[in-house]
Amino acid sequence: MTRPTSAGPAVGDRLPTLTIPVTATLIAAGAIATRDFMPVHHDRDYAAEQGAPDIFMNILSDTGYCSRFLTDWAGPDAMVTRLAIRLGVPVFPGDTLVYTGEVAACSVQGDEDVVEVAFRAATDLGDHVTGTATLTLPRPR
Amino acid sequence: MGAETLDDELQALVGQPVGRGGPSVAPDPVNQPMIRHWAAAFDDRNPVYVDPAAAASSRFGGIVAPPLMLQTWTMPTPTLAGIAGRGGSPVEQDGDTALSVLDRAGYVGTLATNSEFEIVRYLRLGDVVSATTVFASISEEKQTRMGRGRFVTWVTTYTVEPDEVVGRQTFRILKFAPGGTSP
Repeated sequence: MTRPTSAGPAVGDRLPTLTIPVTATLIAAGAIATRDFMPVHHDRDYAAEQGAPDIFMNILSDTGYCSRFLTDWAGPDAMVTRLAIRLGVPVFPGDTLVYTGEVAACSVQGDEDVVEVAFRAATDLGDHVTGTATLTLPRPR
Repeated sequence: MGAETLDDELQALVGQPVGRGGPSVAPDPVNQPMIRHWAAAFDDRNPVYVDPAAAASSRFGGIVAPPLMLQTWTMPTPTLAGIAGRGGSPVEQDGDTALSVLDRAGYVGTLATNSEFEIVRYLRLGDVVSATTVFASISEEKQTRMGRGRFVTWVTTYTVEPDEVVGRQTFRILKFAPGGTSP
């Protein structure tokens, strides 16, 4: 059974902005922590040969930051059950990547709040990632 | 090769495995060192990933892996020697892959466009993850800002032994002919 949430997250609630000053170290660390050894994510010379101005962030890092952005707000009892992202402009060292988002829908299912979040991560060049996510949260007793 | 023949060849791939040799099995079970490494790389302070006491009192009842680390567990252990010569591929490939059909047809460019995850349950320490990936769809040729291309979508199903589905990933790329030339 689904009914409107009477407490907890509400539609329109804004998530705290997550600002990431992007460095080569951060891009390389994210790539290796996700076991992505493609040289375009750690080798600047190789990236240049491929026509890129520098190394750029890998997609597994994007989804990693998305989940951090969501649970920094929702807390350790939140469970991310769905994440869908569309990829835009690449992210290079020197960029500032800014995650913003808001609650798009809320419902109660059983003893859980189900929260839909719409978010984006952008640099000066435009949207790097746009997406939606679903989280579940145990309802306060 | 006529367009109709290529379309037939591509449609025959739908439902077929991406890559060869069956499911990708994680080289290591879900473990605390790799989780700690991941959490540090993204400066993710969520205590359920690294703090046993906090995790025990959470809804999860113990340490869990970050949900979007799902794909990381089954990433292949790389062979670094010769990586640049293999076009940046971290693994040695044994001949043709299904995507080679598209490369041969002129769609040599690759651009990732979408990634979507469904998380059925969070992974716990000791879980051994396997991934099975199949082609879900290959579009007809479309004109894109990158050039003429086809969208290729595959779906990965992640399981924990013996056959519990813990998550699914839908991934879409554009294979395109750079410069707007027709393949």
